[in-house]
Amino acid sequence: MSVAVPLVEHFARGLDAPICLTWELTYACNLACRHCLSSSGRRDPAELSTAEARAVIDELERMQVFYVNIGGGEPTIRPDFWELVDYATAHHVGVKFSTNGVRVTPEVAERLAQSDYVDVQISLDGATADVNDAVRGEGSFAAAIRAMEHLAAAGFSGFKVSVVCTRHNFPQLDSFQALADRYGAQLRLTRLRPSGRGADVWDELHPTAAQQRELYDWLLAHGENVLTGDSFFHLAGYGGDALPGLNLCGAGRVVCLIDPVGDVYACPFAIHDAFRAGNVRDDGGFAAVWRASELFRTLRGPQAGGACAACSAYDACRGGCMAAKFFTGLPLDGPDPECVKGFGAVRLAAVEPGSAPRPSLDHSRPAAVPVTIGRR
Amino acid sequence: MSVLDQAWELAPQVSVRPEPFGALLYHFGTRRLSFLKDRRLLAVVEALGDAPSARHACAGAGIGPSDIGAYERALARLAATDMLRERTA
Amino acid sequence: MDQPPASTAPETAPPADEDEELLEEDLLVEDVSIDGMCGVY
Repeated sequence: MSVAVPLVEHFARGLDAPICLTWELTYACNLACRHCLSSSGRRDPAELSTAEARAVIDELERMQVFYVNIGGGEPTIRPDFWELVDYATAHHVGVKFSTNGVRVTPEVAERLAQSDYVDVQISLDGATADVNDAVRGEGSFAAAIRAMEHLAAAGFSGFKVSVVCTRHNFPQLDSFQALADRYGAQLRLTRLRPSGRGADVWDELHPTAAQQRELYDWLLAHGENVLTGDSFFHLAGYGGDALPGLNLCGAGRVVCLIDPVGDVYACPFAIHDAFRAGNVRDDGGFAAVWRASELFRTLRGPQAGGACAACSAYDACRGGCMAAKFFTGLPLDGPDPECVKGFGAVRLAAVEPGSAPRPSLDHSRPAAVPVTIGRR
Repeated sequence: MSVLDQAWELAPQVSVRPEPFGALLYHFGTRRLSFLKDRRLLAVVEALGDAPSARHACAGAGIGPSDIGAYERALARLAATDMLRERTA
Repeated sequence: MDQPPASTAPETAPPADEDEELLEEDLLVEDVSIDGMCGVY
């Protein structure tokens, strides 16, 4: 008996339904994180109604999507947030929601601790307030810790603490693990992409090449219980042990994004017309977009290695992250900007400043104008 | 005793999704995904709940003696990852 | 042109584990965490 096609090939060719997906419920947010991948802040006037959101959940149930990661913006500030979470779990769609913790009160924590089908992911980008708040804003560290205290007190073990790895929080990896341990949570480390507002801070915040190598080694040594969302699959180019995960770009193949106005994108790091597959309000809804969109058909076909095809690491890294390449102005059939062999850095030097594509949408709140009170 | 001689059932928190290449199993409690790489294995898994033993389920799915070892290993793996649980009734 | 990276592989295991590895490869079941696919945050 032979297994003709390797499993990862089945996934690369795309499935009839996503395995899971990200669903950004609103562009509204109480924070203004400097690296926000969705450039969130203000609600969009055209966001899906409660009824439209329920219709999406009905479709996900029919397609047997196993779970959705509900995010935003800050999803808990939508008035119908709990109604939609309950509707999803009642319709066999598991929910994990990403939150800055603003609304995770003791009562909310109790409610969550009792549900088998709802998971929580608290966003945190520093193990100390100074490092965290420099990116996420004053008071955000305190709010996240409060949420974690409430979850721990309610007996919810195994909730996620999700960290975007940056140049400045890199020295705190062990501290993040200790923090997660203290609250009975599971640590999640993910890759910073130059997406949304991330484009403006990427040069400043992305880990150095040396840090990236240390991160890889740290994950191999300490990362047995650390989740990564497979976001470091470009590190497979180091050629050592593989990190856990499918080690493949799932965008448009096994995962995708549904945004607050119902647009379907290949992934949440690629909110741009170039990666927009359709809208759930179109005829045939989400299912038709997933199965028949031109963009997804292209992603599910053979991918050209281009400049990378001759590199010995290509089989492992597959040229890295398309969103990272796109938003740094690199060609998609060439190296990742953080290519572990340094080929991306070389290509970046040739990118004309200001020429990289900008995000198609920006829901950022206008920067606060400092108020000066002068004497008359 | 081999897994083949025991009675099994899918754990209650497991969702089964058939695929052209086999099936996906997702356990809502452990958050693990298991890929069944073979449609006959899916047939075996779906028959387990009503079969007196896994061996019976395999026979019903047309698994012959030369292949049964691979199915035994697969079922053992599913049991080890809590996708399957022993049936008491 | 590109140099092979330093190996980070552990020391080789005794032969019994090699047999297990072979069996792993033709195992009809493969597992991954639902968190293990890129494109969901």
